[in-house]
Amino acid sequence: MLFYKVWLDTRWRFLIGLVLLFGSAASIVLAYPKVMQLMPLVPSVNAGGELGRRIREAAELSRSYRGYVWSQWFRQQPTQLGTLFAALLGTGGLLSQSAGGALFTLSLPVSRHRLLGVRAAAGLAELFVLAFVPSLVIPMLSPAIGQSYGVGSAVAHAVCWFVAGSVFFSLAVLLSTVFSDVWRPLLLTCGVALALAMPDFVFRDVGLFSLSRVISGESYFRTGSLPWLGLLASAAISGAVLYAAALNFARKDF
Amino acid sequence: MADAFVIETVDLRKRYGATEAVSGLSLHVPAGSIYGFLGKNGAGKTTTIKVLLGMARPTSGTARVFGLPADVPGASVEIRRRTGFVSEDKDLYDSMTVEELIRFTAGFYPRWRGDLEQRYVRKFDLPPTRRVKALSRGMRTKLALLLALCRGAELLILDEPTSGLDPAMTEEVLQALVAHVSSEEMTVFFSSHQIAEVDQIADHVAIIDRGRAVVAAPLEDLRERYRRIQLVFDGSAPEPAFRSPGVERVQRNGRVLSIVSSAGTDRILDEARALGPVSVDVAPITLKEIFLETVATEG
Repeated sequence: MLFYKVWLDTRWRFLIGLVLLFGSAASIVLAYPKVMQLMPLVPSVNAGGELGRRIREAAELSRSYRGYVWSQWFRQQPTQLGTLFAALLGTGGLLSQSAGGALFTLSLPVSRHRLLGVRAAAGLAELFVLAFVPSLVIPMLSPAIGQSYGVGSAVAHAVCWFVAGSVFFSLAVLLSTVFSDVWRPLLLTCGVALALAMPDFVFRDVGLFSLSRVISGESYFRTGSLPWLGLLASAAISGAVLYAAALNFARKDF
Repeated sequence: MADAFVIETVDLRKRYGATEAVSGLSLHVPAGSIYGFLGKNGAGKTTTIKVLLGMARPTSGTARVFGLPADVPGASVEIRRRTGFVSEDKDLYDSMTVEELIRFTAGFYPRWRGDLEQRYVRKFDLPPTRRVKALSRGMRTKLALLLALCRGAELLILDEPTSGLDPAMTEEVLQALVAHVSSEEMTVFFSSHQIAEVDQIADHVAIIDRGRAVVAAPLEDLRERYRRIQLVFDGSAPEPAFRSPGVERVQRNGRVLSIVSSAGTDRILDEARALGPVSVDVAPITLKEIFLETVATEG
């Protein structure tokens, strides 16, 4: 029953995220033929600096369909929309002023740990769907444009997205046990995500220590092996942060 | 019920920053009683209830319900399993329908009373398919009461159950409550600042002021013990210092000296007659007067 309550609280955020990500994945696949038509123009782009480098790199990657999908979808959406919706799913909860029925929930014969556990489990399940369903749209839609994309690759990238993205979800859950509004946890989580992504722009070779590279599954794309260390570290951090959230929630006064 | 007291607090304190919401509250709520917890707004009633239900942790002192410590998480879950609660704001899930919320709540209580649920849905005329957010204040209160009454609870804790209701709706809710309690073996602990409703249904009363109980006794006992003694003198009333126990308040007004006693009148009357009044009048006082006298005295 508590799962149902969490679903009612988060369903619109989840469904909006699903529609946006689904639409984004589909449009990226369907836009590929058009992108291919424009490829001959790329060498004439005369942008310097980081932007120019990125355009040239994207163009280089887009010479193959696999490279195009990675550079346009798995490299960008998990770190941008994916992180935003991970944070959105983690915000809210009993402390939030917008949470109707907080005292009613607290009057039920349920421990605080279970309340937070159900909320975390439901949120992670939604995050799982947000990571996997739009990613699987790519192999399913690719034949429509005469291309193919491996389901195994899509699943591997979705695993990276889900596991590393859960760090931001957990952080939002923790911050929601500290602040009594939705906005501060959301903004702080997005701020942390941005701060973690910055080294990638400043130092191009932060490799192992970059959470955004784990989310995008860069090592899987380039070498075919999953970033196990990054995934394990992400799962451990996520678990530790959720544990801290449970401890903090248990000692809150309402 | 094995415990003599269903709720027991000893020197309970709860501090929020610099504000002490509950300061040394000691309460003993007997099993089977309808216990009115009376106090002004901000007296500490809601905070006390939150501590009893594990929603807030006491700063010091003890709070036990069914003999279980309210501040121990596992015990608190057991307390809530055996307790029905209605919050002051009738805080429910707006996004659910009446039927959904009933089913949701029933899922947590193995002793859920389906027979009572059917009875109260009909009696309160609750529309099962209407969303909670679309219910009127009165309907919301009735739904909150239904959800508390059908839990098969041994204790009902109601925080200002009739706040915001018109007199007709208040009467309907109180009647439903009294009818329920008379047919079920349970204890009711309800907070209010409406003296009339406490007077109407309670058999025990505690008056709380600035976080501590200034009066706590069976209502009949209070009615027996509290008296107003009015002395009229020929000239100006004297300013006596009564040595008898139970003198709550002494007020001079021209030729009249008014005394409120909380421990009978015999010894005070002996002292009073020695002052030489031309007339002595002893009268019982209402719960409202007791409330005003004790809270005013403390203030």
